[in-house]
Amino acid sequence: MSLLPTFQSFRDELDDHNDRREWLIKASRDVTNIAKKTIFLLHRVVLESENPFDDRSASIKASKQGREKLVQIQQIYASLSHELVGEKYWRYQRQVSPGLQEFIEALAFAHFLEFSTLISFQQVQDTLRDSNGNLYFPLTISDYLLGVSDLTGELMRHAISGFSKRGGRSNALAVCAFVRNCKADFERFTPHVRDLSKKQSVTAESLVKIEDAAYAAVVRSSEYDLTPDMLDDLVKSYLSNQNDERPGERWRDQDRDTDFFS
Amino acid sequence: MDAQDLEKLNDMLDNESDLREKIRDKINDLDKKTRIMVGILNKIHSTRTESIPALLDSVRPVLISCGETFEGLAELIPPHQFWRWKDMWCHSLRTAVFAATIIEYLTNHSLLSLKAAAETLGIKEEWRDRVTLSAEDYLHGLISLVNELSRLAVNTVTLGNFEEPLRISAFVKDLFAGFSMLNLKNDTLRRRFDSLKYDIKKIEEVVYDVSLRKLVPAGNTENGSSK
Repeated sequence: MSLLPTFQSFRDELDDHNDRREWLIKASRDVTNIAKKTIFLLHRVVLESENPFDDRSASIKASKQGREKLVQIQQIYASLSHELVGEKYWRYQRQVSPGLQEFIEALAFAHFLEFSTLISFQQVQDTLRDSNGNLYFPLTISDYLLGVSDLTGELMRHAISGFSKRGGRSNALAVCAFVRNCKADFERFTPHVRDLSKKQSVTAESLVKIEDAAYAAVVRSSEYDLTPDMLDDLVKSYLSNQNDERPGERWRDQDRDTDFFS
Repeated sequence: MDAQDLEKLNDMLDNESDLREKIRDKINDLDKKTRIMVGILNKIHSTRTESIPALLDSVRPVLISCGETFEGLAELIPPHQFWRWKDMWCHSLRTAVFAATIIEYLTNHSLLSLKAAAETLGIKEEWRDRVTLSAEDYLHGLISLVNELSRLAVNTVTLGNFEEPLRISAFVKDLFAGFSMLNLKNDTLRRRFDSLKYDIKKIEEVVYDVSLRKLVPAGNTENGSSK
């Protein structure tokens, strides 16, 4: 008896699996790419507005634009959901996860800008539904937690880059408290979720950066007997004399997720 | 995160780790069985041909009993989640496949198909999305089989059976031809496949030695071929 027909079918099966795997890896990279761009968009829209922290309008505008961009990712997930039906999702979960976590990070950032809260597991899952309410695929707790953990790094950037704006210091203090809470909340999950403890140490680093900035804000403002608003105006007039470049300008040159504030 | 969400996530994660513990218990059970089988099967290298059937009869009950363990696993795994948990038991499963295929080889000198292997191990078709024998695991089992047969080729000669190496040689060459058809990517299966050529070389050397010294009746050299 020849074994060749048997192995022929193994070949077809393995080829099919590898092709699908490659295809999902590519899709996941596309998702990552869009998510990263969305994150930059969110930062940029906030910073480009005249007084981003005067009221919530700048943040809400940013969030709205960000969500519009994230629709592209939802479309990608809609188009590949048929490849992820039933047990197939779990077979290719490792290929889907990196992009998904990036998407969750961007989504959580947009959500934070709009509501100043952490997006819940259920809210993330609800973005992965078609118009009939069917899930494209189930969301794992691990992807959710690893995705929202990355948010803290973005918030650090957000807090520090908006620091010199009017209201930027109280914004930094609010972000600082929020990140501190995130870190505390996530801590109990670390034994259950692989790699979460690594993310926690990154969060800790981000937190220290925000705390240092908050410290500087308190110490320096204590030297002047001025209200925060007057301080803001002082800083602003100083900045506009020094620097004709619009602060938003430098964001356009940054297209990679490098740690340029560290 | 509000307290309710926190609690909910925590419960979900606790359930997952409970499940993991239960699965691990089943796998320990499976590991015990595969170790017993491998232990007994080690004796094929020092057992004369006429006593092999009795030796195999002592392994078969253990092999069949793996079915209970897989049944227990199939009850634990939630629907559709085969691929989520399979890494936990794939090592033991591959060893079980190895045991099943070598028993078949030593009994009938034929290859146990994937379907037959799954049946022997008591893995049922209706558990497909929870517990199943994947092509990859089956192929891993076959590579272990070849590894073992190359040792057996040497040791049967030591025990005075000069024809077995010829049979092994034909069988393994067929398998190798099959493996050569696969487009393997750079994973463990590929690396293990790459090692097959050393097994084949070893078997060929044994065949060469026994043929050269006319230890096998002339003309018998191709008889073992299954083609």
